[in-house]
Amino acid sequence: MHNVKRVRYSAEALAAQRQREKARLKEFQSLTGEVLARKQRKDHSREAFDLTTRLLQINPEFYTIWNYRRLVLLNGIFVESTPTQINDVLSDDLSLTTTLLKQHPKVYCIWTHRQWCLAQVPDGPTASDRNGWRQAYWNKELFVAEKMLEADPRNFHAWTYRRYVLAQMPVKRPETADLAFTKRKIESNISNFSAWHQRSKTLTSLWDAGKLDKARSLEEEFDLVRNAMYTDPNDQSVWIYHRWLVGPGEFVIGDDKGLLEREVSSIQELLDIQPDSKWCMESIVFYKKLLLRRHGDSLGDDERGKLNSECEELLGSLQSVDPDRHQRYVDLSRNHHIV
Amino acid sequence: MGPALDIPLHVKYIQSLGENKDDLVYHLTAHLRMNAVYWGLTALLIMKHKDALDRDEMIDFVMSCWDDEAGGFGAHPDHDAHIHSTLSAIQILVMQNALDRVDVPRVVKFILSLQQDSGVFAGDQWGEIDTRFLYIAVNALSLLGHLHELDVEKTVGYIRRCRNFDGGFGAREGAESHASQVFVCVAALAILDRLEEVDQDMLGWWLAERQLPNGGLNGRPEKLEDVCYSFWVLSAMSILNKVPWINAEKLTAFILSAQDPEQGGIADRPGDQPDVFHTIFGVAGLSILGYPGLDDLDPVYCMPASVIESLGLRKGWTALPRRQV
Ligand SMILES: [Zn+2]
Repeated sequence: MHNVKRVRYSAEALAAQRQREKARLKEFQSLTGEVLARKQRKDHSREAFDLTTRLLQINPEFYTIWNYRRLVLLNGIFVESTPTQINDVLSDDLSLTTTLLKQHPKVYCIWTHRQWCLAQVPDGPTASDRNGWRQAYWNKELFVAEKMLEADPRNFHAWTYRRYVLAQMPVKRPETADLAFTKRKIESNISNFSAWHQRSKTLTSLWDAGKLDKARSLEEEFDLVRNAMYTDPNDQSVWIYHRWLVGPGEFVIGDDKGLLEREVSSIQELLDIQPDSKWCMESIVFYKKLLLRRHGDSLGDDERGKLNSECEELLGSLQSVDPDRHQRYVDLSRNHHIV
Repeated sequence: MGPALDIPLHVKYIQSLGENKDDLVYHLTAHLRMNAVYWGLTALLIMKHKDALDRDEMIDFVMSCWDDEAGGFGAHPDHDAHIHSTLSAIQILVMQNALDRVDVPRVVKFILSLQQDSGVFAGDQWGEIDTRFLYIAVNALSLLGHLHELDVEKTVGYIRRCRNFDGGFGAREGAESHASQVFVCVAALAILDRLEEVDQDMLGWWLAERQLPNGGLNGRPEKLEDVCYSFWVLSAMSILNKVPWINAEKLTAFILSAQDPEQGGIADRPGDQPDVFHTIFGVAGLSILGYPGLDDLDPVYCMPASVIESLGLRKGWTALPRRQV
């Protein structure tokens, strides 16, 4: 149970509530009994199907009933139907899940059933347009997933579902459209790490496929994230994304040493304005250590010593600026002295 | 100073859960009953009150949920078998020393049949996939002594593909890191002795940053605190030997402040309605934090450490030392 305030009822109020619930409880129990009995005797009729609808409207988390509903469809209703009729039934089932998702956006069973329905869509409407029905659904699915993300931009069910839809559509949407989508989400709230995460996945995929100029788009990302840092230097989404952009060991672009030095001095500028910024300090330590690890050989002894002692100094400040994670900074300065 | 852990009250709360049969909510949560029994029993064991619930009655309930068609356990009599309720059933029977009641080869077959070509596991024959189900399979096979039947490379391969640049793991390939998915992936890797797959410094950082100024832990960046993350985050930190990277005192106080001082039980956050799910994960968190008077919890299996030790399954995790009152 999440976000349900504790309310203390008097004994009388509690008894009254029990009384009110009694009718609902009785209905739920007899309906459950009836549906489970039909399931037991493998009743795959339309009547059984309608009863599952009623029960799932009361309790959409009742996974056994969703399972039974699918059995009724597969072994009963679909068997006697034309492709057009099957398509109509699935269309109704998708509507049912849309309604339920609006009330219960985080119930796994509903999302699962939705995905199952889509996989069942038959070929059609005609032999020459076999993907017609499917493509129409998939376009709508994207809309549904994005609507859900308007209601709750962090709903990971909706993000997962959206990724699934994008990957499965018979006619794919260009991935670059996803960059515009995630940018919109980030611009409306830079704390939306789900959007930053998705952006990292899309960019990786585009770069790997050679569909995007990596060097240039990286620079655009650095601009985006730098703006976000200045907007709210305490927002950790931004710093985590920045760390991905610099990419510890993942990919080395062009002048890696120059890039690290540039990012360190850009964060240093922000730290000069915000001298207590934990995230600035933490990131500078991380990137300076990265510089030492990757380019230690090309640095002189003086330079290495200087970087190490700067890290030590920052780790010392971090212990007082961020006392909750004090021990981490102690461990970092103890274990990670890079020669 | 905040409140202490009111063990007698929480024991009473857990006992009362089976007595609310006139409540609509009791019936509306029937699909979670097996899990709820596992949560309640584990909490009682950690609070050293194993006998507060009747052993025979509990074992009879578990066995009444056997789904003979599928070869697994459902959450409730007449409910379909699912991998999640099957693990809870096995965990209960292990804690009650009654595993001899189970047709082990059939359950093993059921679990293994749910592995997909990608390496992940489905929850049941309907194919919903999630790294949670992968962990459940690994945990259950390990408890049943049948881990050797698992295709380890295939399984680890899937976890690897769910690893994100922040060191965390998501529910599926491509999904955002989330503390509960981090727990399941790290714990599965621990059971499979494959923790080298984890970028421990990066993940340790991400986990430590789950703590908010009020002491509570969240499950993802820029989200609210919730008592259940005390377990998801702490268990992973404990497996990586990094519990000292957060402020234990503040987290302890946060969990204790979410107790219901009248009816017992722990809620997601202070002032909310308690439930058995947050009660076990609050108690589990306190155990890892070394709270006095509790038994050790094994963070890999979320069961009493003594039970896991007796099976010879203990891994190299560390919790904070148990404090004396
Ligand atoms: Zn919670």
